[in-house]
Formats: sequence, C-alpha cells, structure tokens
Amino acid sequence: MVCLVLAPTLSSCIEDQDFDQYDALALEPVMEASILYVEAPERIINLVTGGTNFFSQDFNFDAFSSNIFSERVIEGTVTYEVDNTTSKELEITVQFLDAGDNVLDTEMFTVQPATTPTLEREIFYGPGGRSIDIVRNTSSFRVSALNLGDNTSTSSLPDPMVTLKSSGKFRVRVK
Amino acid sequence: MRKRTVLVLALLWAGFYMFGQNKQLLYDFTEIPQSLMVNPGVRTDFKWYSGIPALSGISVQGGSSGLSVNDIFADDGLDINDKVRDRAILGMNPRDELSGTYQLELINFGFRGNDPDNFYSFGIYHEGDAIGYWFKDYAILAFEGNADRLNQRFDLAHLKTRGEMVNVFHFGINKRVNKKLTAGIRAKIYSSILDFNSTKNKGYFVTTPGQNNLLASTLDADMRLRTSGLEELGDAADDGNLAGTILKRGFFGGNLGLGADLGFTYQWNEQTVFTASLLDLGFIYHNNDVKNYTLKGNATVEGVEIILPDALSDPNRDFWQDLVDEVEAFVPFEDNTDAYIAFRPTKLYASLRYNFGEQVESRIDCDCEDIVSGGGYRTKYANGVGGQLYMINRPRGPQTALSAFYLRRFGNVMAVKATYTVDKFSLSNVGLGLNLQAGPVNLYFMADNLLAYRNAAASRYASFQLGLNIISWGRN
Repeated sequence: MVCLVLAPTLSSCIEDQDFDQYDALALEPVMEASILYVEAPERIINLVTGGTNFFSQDFNFDAFSSNIFSERVIEGTVTYEVDNTTSKELEITVQFLDAGDNVLDTEMFTVQPATTPTLEREIFYGPGGRSIDIVRNTSSFRVSALNLGDNTSTSSLPDPMVTLKSSGKFRVRVK
Repeated sequence: MRKRTVLVLALLWAGFYMFGQNKQLLYDFTEIPQSLMVNPGVRTDFKWYSGIPALSGISVQGGSSGLSVNDIFADDGLDINDKVRDRAILGMNPRDELSGTYQLELINFGFRGNDPDNFYSFGIYHEGDAIGYWFKDYAILAFEGNADRLNQRFDLAHLKTRGEMVNVFHFGINKRVNKKLTAGIRAKIYSSILDFNSTKNKGYFVTTPGQNNLLASTLDADMRLRTSGLEELGDAADDGNLAGTILKRGFFGGNLGLGADLGFTYQWNEQTVFTASLLDLGFIYHNNDVKNYTLKGNATVEGVEIILPDALSDPNRDFWQDLVDEVEAFVPFEDNTDAYIAFRPTKLYASLRYNFGEQVESRIDCDCEDIVSGGGYRTKYANGVGGQLYMINRPRGPQTALSAFYLRRFGNVMAVKATYTVDKFSLSNVGLGLNLQAGPVNLYFMADNLLAYRNAAASRYASFQLGLNIISWGRN
C-alpha cells in the first residue's frame, strides 16, 4: 500500500523541458512619453530687436543619460510637431548636448507664416537610423529660435504663437 | 547587500510559488494525531501521543492557478516570448494566484486527562504562508510597455500580495461533551519572524493625449507595503547570522499575536458524522522592526515645459529638476515605522461522513467504556464516505474547495483515505493518504493531485504531508 501511495510520485513522468529557453526570453517593452514642450507667443518674438535669434537656451534633461535608461535603451523614435500661428517665418533648432555641452545631434525646423499645416517629423535612433548613442549620451537640449520675418506684424489668428512639441518612444531591454 | 537581496528575492519567490493550504486528506483522518491540528474538536481515542520532534508533521504545498512550468518551458519548438505573452501576460488574469504554505511541527504532544472525556494537546510548529496574485497590468507594462496604448489604464491594484513566517505555540483542549458531541478549542500564540503585505493598493498609470505636449503621463497612486522583520533578517544575512536571528524572532524575539482554533464533531446518528472547524482566528501585532513604504498622490506630466516669457526670467532654472521635484511632491514615496495589525488567514473546514461496513475494534484501554463504545457512537467503521468543504480568507476574498472522500480502515494497522477535490486550481485533484500503525509507531504520508504526475511539469499543484508519531492507547 505504501507503494500505491508513493508510486505516482516516484514514477511520475516529466515531459521534456528546455529551461535554456529562458536565455531567449526578451523583456523589451516600448515606453513612450513627452519630452519637451516650448511655447513662444508672437508678442515675445516681436519684442526682440537687434537680431533674428529671439530665443536660445540650454535645458537640462537627465532622463536619457540616467543609467536606468541609457544602459537599457535599444532603439527609439523622437517625434516632433511644430505649429506656427504667427505672421513670421521661423526657424527652430533642437540640439542634443552631452555632459560637456558638445552637440551630438541637431534637428532644424523651418516653418512658414500662418496659416500653415503642422510640421511633423519622426527621427529614428537605432539600427538603420541615427546612432542610439546620441540618445544615450544626451544630458541636455539646446533650443534656438530664429525669426526670419519682421518683428512688427501680428497674426490675425487668436493667441498667435509658435509651439514645439516632442515625444519619445523607446524600446528598452529589461531582460 | 547581495545576501540581503537574495534573501528578499527568495522570500518573495517562495511566496509566489507556494500554494494553498487545504489539508483535505488530513482533515477528520482520526487515526492521525495531527488531525487535531485541523479540527481541535476531532474525536480521538488516544491515551497519549508524542510526535517525533521535527518529523511529526511536515507539509509542503506548491503550485499556481494559471500557469505551469510546462506551459512555458515545454520543449515544443515554440518561441518562449510568444508563450509568455499568450499564456502568462495575456492568458492569466488578476484573480490567478501563486500561493501556498509549508508547515513543520517542532513539538507536538497530547494526553488524556484524569477526566477521560478531556484530551489535551500542545506543541510548537513553524509555518510559512504567502500569496501573490497575478500582477497583470504591471506585467504588460514590463513586457510590452505603454506605447500605442493611449487611454489604457494600468491598474495598480493588480499588485496584491502578502506573506509571513511564524512560529506558533499552541495548547488545545478536546472535550467529549456528550455521546453525540465532541468540541475543542486551541489557543495560539504567534511569534512572527517576518511579515509583508501589500493588499490595499489603488490607482492607475495612464498615457493620454497631452494638453500642451503630445502625450500626458498620469500616475494616480495609493499604494502601501508593510513589512516587519525584513530589515533585521537582511542585516543578519549580511552578517552571516540568519539562522540565529530566525530562531530569536521565532521564539518571542519578533512580533507577537494571539489566535484560536475552534472545532467540533457531531454524531448525527449511528453512522453519520458532521464536523467543522475554524482555524487561525487571530492576529499579529507588528511593532518590532517595522518598515512600511507608501506611494500616494496624483501627478500628470507632459515632459519639460518651457513657456515664454516666464522661462526667460531665470536663465539658470533647471526645468528637468523642477519636473522631478514636482512629481515627487505630488506623489511622494515615503517610509515609516508605524505599527500595524495583520490578521491571519483564517480557514474553515466542514465535513459530512457516512460510516459503513464492519466495525473495527477500538484500541483504547481505559475505564471509559462509555467513551469507546457507548451506544456504539465511538466504534469505528471500516469504511467512511462523505464530502468536505474548505474555505480560506484571501486578499481577493474567500477561496473555496469541495472534496469527496472515501476512507478505508484495514483493522487497526492501516487506513487509507482518497479524495477528489475541486477548486479554482484544478478540477481533477485526486489525493491519497496512508496511515500505518506498527505497534506504537504511527507513520502517515499523503500526496495530492496524483493524476498530474503523468506530467509533473504540467501540474499546477503539488503537495505532500508526512509525519511520524508514537501513540499509546493505554494498552500494554
């Protein structure tokens, strides 16, 4: 009777298992979130005289260079949308800077005066695209804006401004 | 630190891979002294018994309700990533659980008092118990991420887990009230070695179209993890003094609690018996080595936002750090050492048994003829058949199991109990328990879900119990 009880345990079968499959398990979620939003009203653009560069500033952005991200990111896309409802042609430049303020990448947008459709652009970083190391080493952005028009006219649209929107969608390796 | 991490991970792993606590084979198996531990009101005929220290009661149960090893690791040529996605990430739901228990009796002793109607038992056992529900939305985030899932809320309540390791000191009284009724109560003192629970989580994470920027990420969290003992055990692991610390905390050096077991056996008629018990009706007050963590608040971010002309007012302003500070202010992650009460997982058993066949001679030898065979109520029959109910309170509500059983006695030497159990984990759980009595030596062995041994890797449940006792009925 002991055998009766123990037999199922001792004689149990186990179908072939391949635990080496674990090595092939890839935990690579794709995460997305907004990155940078810049908004400049036309009245501010008009206030700047004596040059066309009405705005240029560096902004710290540690998200990319933090170890938890930079050591795991595989590839990704940065999406930009630029809207211009002012009466001027504008040139917006976004530069990716490393910790030593060296320029790693530059993206330039030239937008016509209103009314003009939203300028959309996607930049892929990774295999077949720009180097993902650009993203990994980015610790700040430099945003510059040039007024290629005048500084007296005003748009007839309500609350005229130029806006730069951006988001990132990145594949990261968890395992 | 590495040892500490290993310890914590091991405990969590153990929690996730241990399983339910149903002891349907042991319940009302009156030949075995440990049946008193699942019903203090069981009808006993021992004069005394003594468990062999550390060998009298060993039980381990493990499994999962939604997934087996075979589901993922079968050598079937399929891509493991597809199997994980289809069978685990998307195939399981938040009510699926990985839970269980182990128990090790250190001391167990029982004796009949001067009043032969009373039977006393006492002892110490060590127990670990844990449950973790499938954290589905967290798994989706980890496996697939939040991309292209606009407006989909990831439910933070999917994290629901608890576990503990405790020593239990108990003393029980089993009293034959009359010819029909035997009742029992067992008082318990719990000495908690460690405890963790995170069962009251609420909130969500969601990505939506942004107001200003392209996307808005919103975290609305009300989460709490309460622990006791982990810090001290972690330090002990680093210092190489883990065993000593477990021993100290298990013998009143940790956190203490009180509880009770209740139970009875009622002889419905000559051959029909009804039993029920309520176990671990108690709590533990945690005020020693407590460390709690909370994450509570609401924040929505749309990246770094630079709005002119305000952004020009301070050229040195760190917008990124401002964003981080803002999120941390709105959703602070904090810790505290506030004492807390943790209730034990209370269990309910009930059974209805019909006895039939030839009668087995009682082994008891005392001046208690009436107890043994008064009216025939204490006479054992060779066969018993019936049904059992088991319930346990869990973080997502009570869990229930129904069992049908057949008990067969072969004289006073051997008894076998077979069960068929249906619960949320299996519809084909067949178990077998064996009790052997060689003179005063009592040996029992029980195993569950035997059909699953056709392919053990595909089993979502496995358990066994065994024990060794010395029993006396008072005969020379």
